[in-house]
Amino acid sequence: MVVVQRRELTFWERIYLPEIFRGLAITFKKMFEPRVTRQYPEEALPTNEVTRGQPRLVVKDDGNIACVSCGLCEAACPAYAITIDSQETERFIEREPERFEIDMLRCILCGFCEEACPKEAIFMSDELELANTTRQGLVYDMKQLERPASTLKPRIDYVRRINDRW
Amino acid sequence: MSDLTKQTPADPSTIERVEITVNGQTVQARTDKPLIQACIQAGVEVPHYCYHPGLTPEGSCRICQVEVQQGKMPARVMVACRTPVMPGMVVNTETEGAHDARRECLEFLLKNHPLDCPICDKAGECTLQDYSFTEGQGEGRSVEPRRKLEKRKDLGDVILLDQERCILCTRCVRFMDEVPKTPQLCVAGRGSHSTIETWNDTPLSGNYQGNLADVCPVGALTLKSFRFKARVWNLTKTASSCGECSRGCATTVEVLRKGEVTRIRPRHDEDVNGWWMCDTGRFALDAFSLADRLVGTLLPSASRGWDATSVENGLQIASDMLTTGDKPLLIASPWLTQEEGGELLALGQTISARVAFVSTASNDLADDVLHTGDPGPNRRGLSDLGLEALTAEEILHTASEHSTVLCIGERVARLLGKGEAEGFNSLPPSARVLLFDCELPDAPTEGNSPIDIAIGLPSSVERVGHWVNIDGLRRNILQARPAPAGVWNTLRLLKYLHELLTNREVQS
Ligand code: SF4
Ligand code: SF4
Ligand code: SF4
Ligand code: FES
Repeated sequence: MVVVQRRELTFWERIYLPEIFRGLAITFKKMFEPRVTRQYPEEALPTNEVTRGQPRLVVKDDGNIACVSCGLCEAACPAYAITIDSQETERFIEREPERFEIDMLRCILCGFCEEACPKEAIFMSDELELANTTRQGLVYDMKQLERPASTLKPRIDYVRRINDRW
Repeated sequence: MSDLTKQTPADPSTIERVEITVNGQTVQARTDKPLIQACIQAGVEVPHYCYHPGLTPEGSCRICQVEVQQGKMPARVMVACRTPVMPGMVVNTETEGAHDARRECLEFLLKNHPLDCPICDKAGECTLQDYSFTEGQGEGRSVEPRRKLEKRKDLGDVILLDQERCILCTRCVRFMDEVPKTPQLCVAGRGSHSTIETWNDTPLSGNYQGNLADVCPVGALTLKSFRFKARVWNLTKTASSCGECSRGCATTVEVLRKGEVTRIRPRHDEDVNGWWMCDTGRFALDAFSLADRLVGTLLPSASRGWDATSVENGLQIASDMLTTGDKPLLIASPWLTQEEGGELLALGQTISARVAFVSTASNDLADDVLHTGDPGPNRRGLSDLGLEALTAEEILHTASEHSTVLCIGERVARLLGKGEAEGFNSLPPSARVLLFDCELPDAPTEGNSPIDIAIGLPSSVERVGHWVNIDGLRRNILQARPAPAGVWNTLRLLKYLHELLTNREVQS
């Protein structure tokens, strides 16, 4: 057991008003200093290729999804946010996802999926906003996750650059 | 069954053993097995592709090289799977020479191997991946393009061949020659043009094709029905036994995300099935489908539909039905385990009922490999317990002599259906019919269903127990996934019903 010894207040502290005026003086001073808070959402946060936002799937320039549903992101995901089912395709790659879901409520934006992907098919986008009225609405399906490769280009280049260093 | 799959000969005293050293450890090695088995016995894992304990060793892949020193000879690197065991051998699997030999061998195996792991169904259980990881060198040095071969070659209804992934270990060829003894595959072409082919592209036939996907150490031979169905690390695997015939092959039941059974594979059991199983058992996945299951209790309603109620209620009603009228007839399905059969028998004695099981008719699948042609997995066990064996016809015939008929067990309605044209639905309308099954039989086209009460049961992948196979051996079944909500364990249900009936007997 620890006995906490309360400090005795001084006379000036006990009469209260001087401290109140001191606080108000600080507030008044700050009114003439530059603002540091941001008027979100009117004023959005700046993002760049290093931003680790929500994961998104790459749609290649030929219109096909880059994912071959190998399941490595599903296995790497520490939050068990990803669920994939595969199907056969006539394309050369033979295999593509039939269902690709990310439960955005579970996703912790760790980027492991991006790192695990052998096909450059999933990347952390700069999209950060997440709102819905139901939980199920935040389980994103393939259509909601797909983004053209051009949108994700800066991030793709950045990740390639990082990987080259290894 | 082929003697090759037998690890122990009929008379174990004939096994000759000699003393050898493996990685510094002294082992009593069997002389009738290749050196690799002695290493395995010593707990040393030697990489291998073409060697399969159930097939004749061939020595084509060269990955199993180890260093062997004998007598005054200098130590040499040789393949463990084709080297006979000799007294006084000193084997070392971890020397630089052995590692180099294996690493170089892998480099050649991977020279033309496609980078298919992300789309390959074998990934995760592929020994080419495993050994590349433990022994490989990480990077290939060849600059020539890889060989281009056929990637989706159809080998019949069961198997798809990807020739690019094949490492030409010939396990598949030897399997077809030695186990079902129907040689159908061969290595065609020579050198780097060798490929696995069937004669003139004839599709494969036989009831044992599924095993090819298991013996193939890589993803060259894959099951069409499992193609892209699941990643193998997502499957929950449970050791169990197959119920499609009275052999009761040891199996592994693999369930995807606590839902459907996605794959059934054989498990090694020397006394029963060796390393194999037949396709009938392997592809009997529909039997465990979760769609259209009978859950809880259903009572026929006035409008030819069903009213649902709880299992407790249902059993209360069932016990009323079983205790009114004369001697009831209890019909078990041959899928009932020994534990459940014993409980049913005890219950039958309490209410002095006639207890029988459906003696299934043989199908034409019997062969001299594994399939017995008898689709009832626990026929022997139930008759040993003392249940009467009655064919479907006999049951439908005698049913009219009883005022109450209880049909219990997986597929029991379906089994009665096979006998006569109308099958289960032709049970006498005068009798009260209680059906405890996994599914409801199709309603008759006209007239009412004979069922007076139906209660859902778990299927054989959802309960625990044991069957007794045709040779009198115990075959354990284990729960691979939970039964659907509202389905009681069969044993619990029988015990509960038995208690209700005992209380009633005491009261009257
Ligand atoms: S970012 Fe992390 S948590 Fe989110 S889906 Fe990818 S691996 Fe899972
Ligand atoms: S056979 Fe094995 S190594 Fe080859 S692609 Fe398939 S998983 Fe990868
Ligand atoms: S198909 Fe498979 S089992 Fe047959 S030779 Fe090729 S790698 Fe071996
Ligand atoms: S396993 Fe010994 S040579 Fe293939």
